[in-house]
Amino acid sequence: MRLATLRNEPDSAQPSAAQPFAFKLSNVTVAYRSYQERPSSLKETVIRFMRTGKMKHYSTFDALNDVSLEINKGTVLGIIGSNGSGKSTLLKVMAQVLKPTQGRVVVNGSVSSLIELGVGFDPELNAVENIFLNGSLHKKSNADIKSRVDHILEFAELHDFARTPIKYFSSGMAARLGFAVAIDINPDILIVDEILAVGDERFQAKCSTVFQNFLKSGKTIIIVSHDMSMLEHTAREIVLLSRGKIVFRGDPHHAIGMYRDKSYETALQG
Amino acid sequence: MSSVSQTSAISFVPDFFVQMYGYREYLKQSVLRDLRNKYKRSFLGYIWTMLHPLAMMSVLAVVFSHIMRVPVKDYAVFLFAGLLPWNYFNSTALMSLHTIRANARLFSQIPVPKYIFILSLTFSNLANLLFALVPLLIISIVMGRGVPLTALAFPIVLIPLFLTVVGISLILATSNVFFDDTLHLAEVGLNMLYFMSPVLFHRELLPGWITQYLVLNPLFCQIEFVRNIFYDGVLPDPQVFAINLCGAAFVLFLGLFIFRKSEDKFLYFL
Ligand SMILES: Nc1ncnc2c1ncn2[C@@H]1O[C@H](COP(=O)(O)OP(=O)(O)OP(=O)(O)O)[C@@H](O)[C@H]1O
Ligand SMILES: [Mg+2]
Repeated sequence: MRLATLRNEPDSAQPSAAQPFAFKLSNVTVAYRSYQERPSSLKETVIRFMRTGKMKHYSTFDALNDVSLEINKGTVLGIIGSNGSGKSTLLKVMAQVLKPTQGRVVVNGSVSSLIELGVGFDPELNAVENIFLNGSLHKKSNADIKSRVDHILEFAELHDFARTPIKYFSSGMAARLGFAVAIDINPDILIVDEILAVGDERFQAKCSTVFQNFLKSGKTIIIVSHDMSMLEHTAREIVLLSRGKIVFRGDPHHAIGMYRDKSYETALQG
Repeated sequence: MSSVSQTSAISFVPDFFVQMYGYREYLKQSVLRDLRNKYKRSFLGYIWTMLHPLAMMSVLAVVFSHIMRVPVKDYAVFLFAGLLPWNYFNSTALMSLHTIRANARLFSQIPVPKYIFILSLTFSNLANLLFALVPLLIISIVMGRGVPLTALAFPIVLIPLFLTVVGISLILATSNVFFDDTLHLAEVGLNMLYFMSPVLFHRELLPGWITQYLVLNPLFCQIEFVRNIFYDGVLPDPQVFAINLCGAAFVLFLGLFIFRKSEDKFLYFL
């Protein structure tokens, strides 16, 4: 998926000064299947096709609806919105793991993402095995991964749990490991969903140091969070999502104000 | 819009081998992990897993050579040589149904070509096939036949079999994401295929007009190739082998085509 995109966008393989943007989303729509209908069987599909000439039987709803967004390099963008407004879906599209139903995504630089808790790990494997698994899926060599294991465990402060299967990790521990692994790739763009909220204060402080260092080196960070005070401090810009649409993008203070007094809900209808 | 579907179908097969190389570290790791789990890190574990095929094979050999009096010399060796490729095909095809769902956590976080998970399965089972060679060789020696020199051609004989197994597994894995009756249909299909393949019988036991259709199934000759080198002590006919290799390459292409055209939709259906 990523490869193909890069091939079609030769300029996007390397972050270049000529291109100031990290992401460019044009008219992105993600139409999920509604779950009212039963799962389909091949038998029924064939019969339906012979009767009506149609393959598709399910209705869809738009988790993202015609979203266009350009994100500059070197910024911290916050994404807020109520539950189910499409924040994680937007992140998945940016992380290039979810191909939008419609629209285009251009990415300028390498991306590392931490979207849902524990996703990206195999729960049966222990921390070290998961570090190796994750590294190998990023096409790293065995020697490369080996040389990073200690560093990752140290950052996550999980040395004592190196041999514990991830399924026995607390959510905070899983978030630490996920974050440590995600930043170890040293990406140009870091995408984080609200999972940092489950880390303890000490770890959150560590994360914000990482964010600072990231910004200093001109990298881009995209954070989804329900923690408004954190965003108010960290984000330079905020995107407010509602039912799959961007209702506001800009000054964090203003965005949070809109979100809190729910004025955006009427804005959407108007 | 979609950059993947812009890649022309011609490049699917070369792409596949390039990615196979690119993800070699992942493939190596996951095959080793599977083997460790299966053989539980001990020699006894290995012996234990040999018992199952040996027991099953002995029962079949007794039933067919003594009770049903199949006129084949050293039927146990004949049978085992046919069961090896069949079991490889059959178990990989059935296991491939779970592969996409089982790895959804990984590819919903890390952008990877999703067929590497099918590849890892086919390689794991290939390793198991190599382990299962040991009892075959032991039986051959115990029965006083020795091991023919042609057995050395095994790696070459495996090539078309491997391509066919990957192709079919890609198709079944795709189907199982969209249709919940795939397992049922696959079981029926595999059962039919079992009796249409020369596992239990020799092609000379069948009327010629039937064989002429049965050989259209690439697996038919692939089973015979394995039997050629371990039981008959001859090399496969080069012309038949070449035709079969083309057929196998076509099955792989078909599998890749179906998989690549649908993989972007997987996350919408899982
Ligand atoms: N795989 C899926 N299939 C069908 N619908 C889905 C799928 N994933 C998400 N959705 C739906 O898409 C909508 C947006 O989901 P999303 O996870 O992006 O919300 P969110 O803004 O991250 O919410 P939260 O604040 O709770 O994390 C929701 O209505 C959800 O039910
Ligand atoms: Mg979410």
